[in-house]
Amino acid sequence: MKFSLLSLALKNLKRKSFRTAVLITSIGLLVSILVFGTSFLLTISSSIKRSTDRLGADLLVVPVGARDFAEEVLLETKAKNFYMDKSIIEKVGKIEGIEKLTYQTYLTTIYGLCCDIPAVKVVAFNQETDFIIKPWLERAIGRKLGKGEVIIGAEAAENFELLDVDRSTLFGMKFNMAGVLEKTGTGLDNALFVSDENIGEIIERGKSGLRPDQISLIFTKVKKGLDPYAVGRSVEGEILEVDVIARSDMGKKIISTLKDINGIFLLTIVLACLLSTFLAWTIFSAIVNERLREVGIMRAIGAKGSHIVKMFIIEVFTIGLIGSLSGVMFGNYLSLTLSRVFGLLRDVAGTLTLMERVEVSLLGLAVGTGICIIGALSSIIRIKRLEPLMALKEG
Amino acid sequence: MAQIELLDVNKTYAVGNNVVKAVDGVTLEIEKGEFISIVGHSGSGKTTLLSIIGGILSPSTGRVVVDNTDIYALDEDRLSEYRALKIGCIFQFSSLLPVLTAKENLLLPTVFRPEKGNGFEKKAVEHLALVGLEDKIDAHPSQLSGGQQRRVAIARAFMNDPDIIIADEPTGDLDEETEAEVMELFKGINRQRGITFILVTHSSELAKDATRRLRMTRGRIQEL
Ligand SMILES: Nc1ncnc2c1ncn2[C@@H]1O[C@H](COP(=O)(O)OP(=O)(O)OP(=O)(O)O)[C@@H](O)[C@H]1O
Ligand SMILES: [Mg+2]
Repeated sequence: MKFSLLSLALKNLKRKSFRTAVLITSIGLLVSILVFGTSFLLTISSSIKRSTDRLGADLLVVPVGARDFAEEVLLETKAKNFYMDKSIIEKVGKIEGIEKLTYQTYLTTIYGLCCDIPAVKVVAFNQETDFIIKPWLERAIGRKLGKGEVIIGAEAAENFELLDVDRSTLFGMKFNMAGVLEKTGTGLDNALFVSDENIGEIIERGKSGLRPDQISLIFTKVKKGLDPYAVGRSVEGEILEVDVIARSDMGKKIISTLKDINGIFLLTIVLACLLSTFLAWTIFSAIVNERLREVGIMRAIGAKGSHIVKMFIIEVFTIGLIGSLSGVMFGNYLSLTLSRVFGLLRDVAGTLTLMERVEVSLLGLAVGTGICIIGALSSIIRIKRLEPLMALKEG
Repeated sequence: MAQIELLDVNKTYAVGNNVVKAVDGVTLEIEKGEFISIVGHSGSGKTTLLSIIGGILSPSTGRVVVDNTDIYALDEDRLSEYRALKIGCIFQFSSLLPVLTAKENLLLPTVFRPEKGNGFEKKAVEHLALVGLEDKIDAHPSQLSGGQQRRVAIARAFMNDPDIIIADEPTGDLDEETEAEVMELFKGINRQRGITFILVTHSSELAKDATRRLRMTRGRIQEL
């Protein structure tokens, strides 16, 4: 290699190889926290947004007191049952401002009952009025579900791969598998869907615990131009047996908890960055100061201030870049593996897109190298201003 | 017009409440190709004066004009170019970069040239041979004796073909024989290429070889 400032800078790094390694590791750890933390924040926020956007309804009418259950079922992968009487459908339909509605009944299979299909959420939906499942159903099979047919959520399908679905039964009833739904990014990915025409027979078999004329929730669309909140309030006012969740309220409780976690994470990240900048500042000014003499020599034999800056920036940038690159890799690894370990991350279905990952990684790179350069800059600027002979003598 | 003109140059250092006058009203003209020796007691201001001529220490008052240019009126970058191209500096103290080999230390000043050139590698090897270090090309300073380090520094001063060499006790760590060789080398280069030499020395023996001899006493200069 032709001798240049670059080779000088690299030799300087090599001379203090232990210190260089420690610096690289520290920057790497910082960046991995940053990448992991940001991925975590993004995963959660985007998954919440996706879940609420895709529900396709303005208002959710649920039994009084079941608000939290409903959110858990719809946004997370929990299987919980809650019921109200079918007569409520009619009452809701009469409320001023409701444009259309549909309803669903949730059941849970009981472990061990039906040929070892594990406990799973089964959604019986009304095909005449449905507008929630319909778009997904059309994409999957292009027709309505027949009686005795089941369609499976994307994630549930993975769990069923090992089972002989054709010979399994649900609540003692034989179903044919019509297909698998595309991923919705909601809790519904973990459910099986059947038409509510089957409910009569399920009840007859007596293996579900469901009683006639029970439904779990009603999805409604509000007439254009009306405020969903106002309509929701009048539903709650007129029908005492129900609670109403407006779409923008969906997941509010989870969101606010997650927002707090996000806040704490963000604060930690900011503090870690600040701390690292201070550390980088101390360490790099020490590094620069111990090289005062060398800088004096270089200036005396003709180096411009910019040569000195360039040499130090190459050194600092190399440390920052290698550290940040390893941090980006480690952070992404953490966020990919830990998302399978922590229940919270598993429950909020959904992962980052490639683009989001690239953006987070670039952010990590920029912050990691930025901190090093900012930390070193003041010392570099001070030292390049010194008169060569003074630098020589101070060193 | 002389190559180097010092006009009433003063340099004072503030040490606490005291003021040290290291260079006191020096006015001096040096022609191109002169071989000048400066002697003087320790602390008389020799290094300070040499540094001012070499563009590495600005005077408190007075002007330094080299080839019709007031060098301390130049901006930082032009002054750096002056140091890189016009001046070859041999310091009183060790001045090699420890991470670099002998050859790389010689190549360092060529990196600072405003225009890039070629053939520096070959030139560096030749220069090291001139000072008798052809077998130490890839040695690091820590692997060299004090005198060998000094010779590397001497060879480095010539890498950018300077017009002026300022040398602060360049033969300080050398034995008499090597000292004589270095002086012969200097005188040869001075004669052949017309490079101006300004040499600080404690040895009146060496000072004799100069075409012009100066003495510094408490910051003031006088011809001998
Ligand atoms: N940075 C400084 N701060 C204060 N005083 C200084 C500084 N540098 C030099 N001096 C003083 O200036 C005077 C001249 O110093 P200089 O180094 O030029 O002497 P010198 O003739 O080269 O001595 P020597 O032969 O020992 O190298 C001395 O009295 C010294 O104490
Ligand atoms: Mg001196």
